[in-house]
Amino acid sequence: MAANTNSISIEGVDAGYGLVRVLDNVSLRVNSGETVALLGTNGNGKSTLMKCIMGWARPSKGRIVAEIDGEKHDLAGLSTEQIVDLGIALVPEGRRLFPRQTVEENLLLGASRPKARAHIKTNLDFCFEIFPRLAERKSQLAGSMSGGEQQMLALARALMLNPRILLVDEPSVGLAPLLVSRTIDAIKQLKDHFNLTVLMAEQNFTQALRIADRGYVIVHGKIEFEGNSADELNNNDLIRQFYLGM
Amino acid sequence: MQFDLLINAIIAGLMLGAFYAAVTSGISISFGMLDIVNIAHPGFIILGSYIAYIVNVQLGADPIVIAIVALPAFYALGSIIYEIYYRSFEKHGQDSLRGLAFFFGLLFVTEVVLNMVFGVDYRSVNVPYIGGSLTIGWMEFPIRMLVPAVVSILMFGGLQIYLSRTFIGRAVMAVSQDPQALQLMAVDPIRIKRIAFSISLATASMAGAFLIIIQPVIPSSGREYIGRVFAICVLGGLGSLPGTLIAALLIGVIESITSTFYGPSWAPAVSFGLLLLTLAVRPSGLLGR
Ligand SMILES: Nc1ncnc2c1ncn2[C@@H]1O[C@H](COP(=O)(O)OP(=O)(O)O)[C@@H](O)[C@H]1O
Ligand SMILES: [Mg+2]
Repeated sequence: MAANTNSISIEGVDAGYGLVRVLDNVSLRVNSGETVALLGTNGNGKSTLMKCIMGWARPSKGRIVAEIDGEKHDLAGLSTEQIVDLGIALVPEGRRLFPRQTVEENLLLGASRPKARAHIKTNLDFCFEIFPRLAERKSQLAGSMSGGEQQMLALARALMLNPRILLVDEPSVGLAPLLVSRTIDAIKQLKDHFNLTVLMAEQNFTQALRIADRGYVIVHGKIEFEGNSADELNNNDLIRQFYLGM
Repeated sequence: MQFDLLINAIIAGLMLGAFYAAVTSGISISFGMLDIVNIAHPGFIILGSYIAYIVNVQLGADPIVIAIVALPAFYALGSIIYEIYYRSFEKHGQDSLRGLAFFFGLLFVTEVVLNMVFGVDYRSVNVPYIGGSLTIGWMEFPIRMLVPAVVSILMFGGLQIYLSRTFIGRAVMAVSQDPQALQLMAVDPIRIKRIAFSISLATASMAGAFLIIIQPVIPSSGREYIGRVFAICVLGGLGSLPGTLIAALLIGVIESITSTFYGPSWAPAVSFGLLLLTLAVRPSGLLGR
């Protein structure tokens, strides 16, 4: 097993809130260096799956195993902080920036963990190179920026963690179409530069499939379809009919 | 209104305000940044005064030096109190009303214990500079006000640099905005709150020494400060140390001018009037969130 393998494997996970079960026997794999799309419309369990990976929700059945730099970790029982410190970063739904702090402070908060501090300068330079807007607005309060700028900041802040695996929950939400495609492009750029393994939840199938190697479709908490290439997903009759409107 | 009287009232007010800033800094952190209504804080300030008093009487050491030596003990006490508060209240989402009762109880216990140990007589420290004063032209700086004021400003500067320039400091500023998002930065929000609360309690050691240099102290002295410190904290704006400093200086100067020209009994009325007026115009305070 190579020392730079970073993958995530979800095996038969059930999860929910109280008595309400949301995820039903979900299995999904993201291999090292892949970009995998988790596709599904609103309320089907995408964010719940992200929460399970981050330890915010606990599966009642199944396992989640992350492989970081070739070493396997069962995530059950780890705190969210420990999971992040392994090298798994989440850009959460709704971005969750610190609105009353500046752009720069938000970015530096991303680099809080000791393993990320050593790379602050190079990572910050790279973020400012990819998102020049953030460099211009360094001292502006995060809460006073536009939606597109906030999404850039959320992505950049996750990169400051110096992660191996990047999870992105619905980056397109609330953005104008042009900004959606820019954000998706940025994810691809960041992925290539940092050699990341990416899992992206999206309901915008067309945009997500532009950069995804593979994808899963989740319906009512069950994986209904697994496409081994973007083409396979694009050409699937069910998806064409229901989601792409063709 | 005589000019030199006014100038001297302003100088005295600035020094008084700097002292108020030290008294309020702990509340500004616990209440303003962590949403913890620590009304027991003035009680811990009085505890700090008595520690300075007892060591000063025994060993003749300077109260400020004593307070600096006692900082780790206050920090540790802060960690213990936060841990109890977190486990009993905050964790279960019962932080507001029951938490208030908890801190009220702590205030009461501190006062009773100090009463039992030291009695209700006024206590003061012996420091060579207490009666002296520095005179520049017709401006007069009583040293017993000047020393606490200068050390207080230094402490404030240190806290502000710590909060704005360090990883933990930035996390302290972030924790009340979104503790869960802090977890996504690999930072444990509970640990951050414990550290910040401990720092807030450590400021009581310093403020206590300042207080007993400025005036003699009895166990219930803390009570007169409860209203004032929350007023300064709210006036400055929750979550902003610079705001707290400006508000404290403002209140100090206004109280000093009022008592010089109209008598001390007017001072609180004018301060709280200013608070209400400011909040009517700016509900978030001078520099608040
Ligand atoms: N905190 C919560 N408590 C209870 N139910 C929730 C909670 N969060 C989500 N749900 C429910 O779980 C289901 C899946 O939600 P979610 O994972 O957010 O879907 P998606 O991200 O695909 O839109 C929905 O029916 C939603 O109402
Ligand atoms: Mg969602």
